[in-house]
Amino acid sequence: MTTVDEQTEGAPTRAWLMGAAAWLVPGLGHLLQGKWWRALLLSGAVWICFIAGFQMGGHLFKYTGSEPGLSALLQVPPMIANLGNGLAYIVCWLWDYGFAHGEQQAALPTFEFGWTFLLVAGLLNYLAMLDAFDIAARRKS
Amino acid sequence: MRHFLVMTAFAALAGIVFGTVAKNSAREQFMYGLKVFAEFMIIGLVLAWILYFIPF
Repeated sequence: MTTVDEQTEGAPTRAWLMGAAAWLVPGLGHLLQGKWWRALLLSGAVWICFIAGFQMGGHLFKYTGSEPGLSALLQVPPMIANLGNGLAYIVCWLWDYGFAHGEQQAALPTFEFGWTFLLVAGLLNYLAMLDAFDIAARRKS
Repeated sequence: MRHFLVMTAFAALAGIVFGTVAKNSAREQFMYGLKVFAEFMIIGLVLAWILYFIPF
């Protein structure tokens, strides 16, 4: 029986690479390990959630520092959740796409569902990333 | 109706991911995903009815 410390120390470099791949592109970490079925299910769910979020009028969060005082920090937790989308978030950030929202967009009945879906897409991908890491570290099959 | 569909989609997507990462065999994944889906739906509907009767 191994302890938690032994498991953490024993995680090979490959496991960290698989975790990084899974974070960068949803499903890639499982795909590289030959887990086709898991890759299909996880990437499908995360991508559908992400695209549906934008379709419903949602927007991404980023830390701007423009808010007064400590209220600027309120942007950080949702930004961390959005960051779970990996490359998709980075591309949107580089192109400055999907961060702002106009009055028309905010008036949509699905506006709040939209950004919630975008947050959840990132959080679900964090779960997928941990799963890919655990499989590569042989903690699960 | 739109809200219900969005909630159903949300529960289905969360159920797929939770079921896939939490269990190993296909049957266990399906059953656990179904359980998570049902829990999201039931809790969502119960909360919706509770909030419906709150007048603010």
